[in-house]
Amino acid sequence: MSAPELVTVTIDERSVQVPKGTGIVETAAAAGIEIPVFCYEPRLGAAVGACRMCLVEVEGMPPKPQAGCTLFAQDGMVVKTARTSEMARVAQNATLEFILVNHPLDCPVCDKGGECPLQDLTFRYGPGNTRMTFDKRTFEKPIPISPAISIDRERCILCYRCTRFSESVSEDNQLVAVNRGAQTMIATFEDEPYTGAFTGNVTELCPVGALLPTQPRFEIRPWEFQAVPSVCGLCPVGCNIDVDQREGKIKRILSRNHPEVDEGWLCDKGRFGFSHLYAEDRITDPLRRVRSRGLEEISWEDALDDAERLLREANGRIAVALSGSETTEDAYALAKLVRKGLGAHTAMLPEEIGGGLDAFRAPLSAIRDAELIVVLGEDPVVERAPIVDLWLRKARRAGAEIVEIGPAGDVQIAPGTTARACRKLKSGELGDRLRASERAILIWSGGGAGGGSHLAALATDLGFADKPGCGAFFLPETANGRGVAEAWAAASDDEGPEPEPLGLLIVSGDEAAANPNVRALAEQAERVLAITMFHSLAVGWADLVLPGTSYLEREGTYVNVEGRIQRLRRTAIPPAPDELAWIAQLASRFEVELSPSPSLVFAELSERVFGGVTYEDLGEEARLPDRVPLEAAPAESADEPVPAKAPGGTLQLLRYRPLFSGAAVERVPELQFQRPAPEIELSVKDAKRLGVRRGEPVSVRSNGTSVQLRAAINKRLKAGVARIADDHARDLHPTVEVSK
Amino acid sequence: MARPLADEVRAIAEQYPESTSAVLPALRIAQERHGGWLPPEALEEVGEALGLTPAYCKGVASFYDMFHLAPVGRRLVEVCTNICCGLRGAQDVLQAFERELDVRPGETTPDGAFTLRAVECIGGCGWPTVVAIDDRHRLNVSAGDVPGIVQELRGG
Ligand code: SF4
Ligand code: SF4
Ligand code: FES
Ligand code: FES
Repeated sequence: MSAPELVTVTIDERSVQVPKGTGIVETAAAAGIEIPVFCYEPRLGAAVGACRMCLVEVEGMPPKPQAGCTLFAQDGMVVKTARTSEMARVAQNATLEFILVNHPLDCPVCDKGGECPLQDLTFRYGPGNTRMTFDKRTFEKPIPISPAISIDRERCILCYRCTRFSESVSEDNQLVAVNRGAQTMIATFEDEPYTGAFTGNVTELCPVGALLPTQPRFEIRPWEFQAVPSVCGLCPVGCNIDVDQREGKIKRILSRNHPEVDEGWLCDKGRFGFSHLYAEDRITDPLRRVRSRGLEEISWEDALDDAERLLREANGRIAVALSGSETTEDAYALAKLVRKGLGAHTAMLPEEIGGGLDAFRAPLSAIRDAELIVVLGEDPVVERAPIVDLWLRKARRAGAEIVEIGPAGDVQIAPGTTARACRKLKSGELGDRLRASERAILIWSGGGAGGGSHLAALATDLGFADKPGCGAFFLPETANGRGVAEAWAAASDDEGPEPEPLGLLIVSGDEAAANPNVRALAEQAERVLAITMFHSLAVGWADLVLPGTSYLEREGTYVNVEGRIQRLRRTAIPPAPDELAWIAQLASRFEVELSPSPSLVFAELSERVFGGVTYEDLGEEARLPDRVPLEAAPAESADEPVPAKAPGGTLQLLRYRPLFSGAAVERVPELQFQRPAPEIELSVKDAKRLGVRRGEPVSVRSNGTSVQLRAAINKRLKAGVARIADDHARDLHPTVEVSK
Repeated sequence: MARPLADEVRAIAEQYPESTSAVLPALRIAQERHGGWLPPEALEEVGEALGLTPAYCKGVASFYDMFHLAPVGRRLVEVCTNICCGLRGAQDVLQAFERELDVRPGETTPDGAFTLRAVECIGGCGWPTVVAIDDRHRLNVSAGDVPGIVQELRGG
């Protein structure tokens, strides 16, 4: 790219050089001068000039105050802000008086107080008193706009940030302004809850206390928070977050803009999910099985003795089931303990990702800059890696062409045929265009064995390795599945026989503990040692339970979807020692050298798999490691098994794991309304054939099981396929019969 | 029989590059079909046909005075109270209607026969006071005309 032309602008007699077209608000900031704003927020799209807080005087323009947020830097421009222009000063002062005409001034009972732009700007630029002697506009307040967010319409200054987010970022168009003029208010349709993956962002965008999260209501003042910079661990995006805590307890989570990863947005799972830490069935002490379904609390000393005994008695016949939510260090520690200490090399990794994609590594923000994007797979992107969905929307708004290939895509394919579709892209019209493009992105969103390797083979063929603007992403199912797989591999080069019969199954983490395949394996194991956070995941099958900690409670690293290594911090005090602390102790009993310090474990691990980067190198805004050139053509995994064609009259079941599911979400009251309704999605054709209409109850049967669900019509779904969220599909078989 | 609303709305949308451009005419037809106002179902139908959310449609509908989000009477009486009409006795005209119909502006008579509204300029400034009755303008209305108009509307 050629360097942008620089222009010189004078702001309050200071001259500053910025690239032509820079916004005046940013230009002033570059000169060290603040132009106050409410509605201006470049991430929401073009400025709307709604609030008039940013008024400035511009020489040579009509002699009236100009909205600074709507102006762009041009050479020779002379701008005066309220510091040097009486006109601007008076105008800003009047703007604030106007904005406050209907404002209730209830700062003393407002959670925003202390970090409220309206409070701050009124203090600095506004009048100290009011001439308002009329009744103010009143509303019922505060009322829920969803279980997670409340709205106080009296405080709203009608800046339209929230509705612009809803319209042009998340594009859900649920939050709108109704009525007109002074009667305008922010609302949803018929007071339905504001639902979607990203609603919580409006609580951070709102410049007043109108939209607030319900979670820490009236609990705290902003100046009492201590913000700990960390990374969200609930999906493979790894959004950067600030965790506000007080006295070791988390009160809220805010975004911490990483411009290449999340652009300052969070999904609601990441934002509101933290309260699962304080769930009633949280395990705080080690537990030992008594009788068949009972568990009794034991001391840590006894627990480590028990654990040692279980490990010794298994005599190497050990398997480890991992979750993909362990830190890379925890996974490495566990791997080192069992592999080096006990010669047990069998792991059930959370997922197969497939290598090779590091050769096409790109930041997620490359999606925004792409002109052609192909999304392959069976799962909606938003369910797997929510923020990627926002990047895709942004790309589309910027004019990118996005082709979705899947059972509910632009190009409809049958479930189980993604690998074939991927291979087909090597030739054909779309493939040619991908090959010709300098800015093309491939995304694999869904299961299917080794999606990563299929994608790598395609990207190689398309010549992406030599094109920095082209990238390929496999969206993993777990937050740190990549890191865990690397850690497991790094711990030892040895291999061992499959344990027969299985002496001990170590179940690491909640996802593994909830996984039916792991449960099935446990049936065959003589003993089960589970590391989990919650009672209900431990009861009935584990002989020994060690308390798990959450991604918010431990130090360590996660490797995200891009291959970026990011640091987690201890943002809250866990109720029990973290995994690394006791794994290290246990390791010493087996003569395995292991530090309880995450930074030292990382150093050891990094030497082996991360090219020796240090903890400090990662910093708080981790950079993306360079591409790793492919040495040989990537080995492509075998195709996923193609499910047999559903016999006449039946439908192929397409399951998906919803974003709002899992052990954490289940324990967050504010997120229950977001969980998928008990629905079955049918194609238009099948709905017609079956004579069912939207919302009608249907019964879904397969092999003796049957569930009652409501019908939903998905216009994009391929005929012959029925889509059901895992929560509701339960143990339905891959072929289902649907009837009224 | 009239065409289904959804078909009619889609036909309108086809005339524009963006479906949002069709919202106003679509809402107008929907309002006609729903007895002069837009119940939530009407907003849902229009949204569904245009690929927009009902919330978006409600935002638009609530902005404009000529869309009604609550039921209206069988006859809709709208008195302009803006500048020109105001200078020529619009307040008196409005009060006369209030008396004759025994309702306040914005209300509907208990028998559902009339809704009375005070509105801003409806573009007949040369012939004040202007009263719009079911979308037809009556010009140069004075307070004294009102009893007669109401009687006429009552079919007397
Ligand atoms: S609710 Fe907040 S963000 Fe939305 S318009 Fe009002 S002040 Fe702005
Ligand atoms: S998108 Fe993923 S990483 Fe970001 S907040 Fe949501 S769950 Fe966390
Ligand atoms: S910040 Fe410029 S008008 Fe709102
Ligand atoms: S002022 Fe009454 S019609 Fe214009």
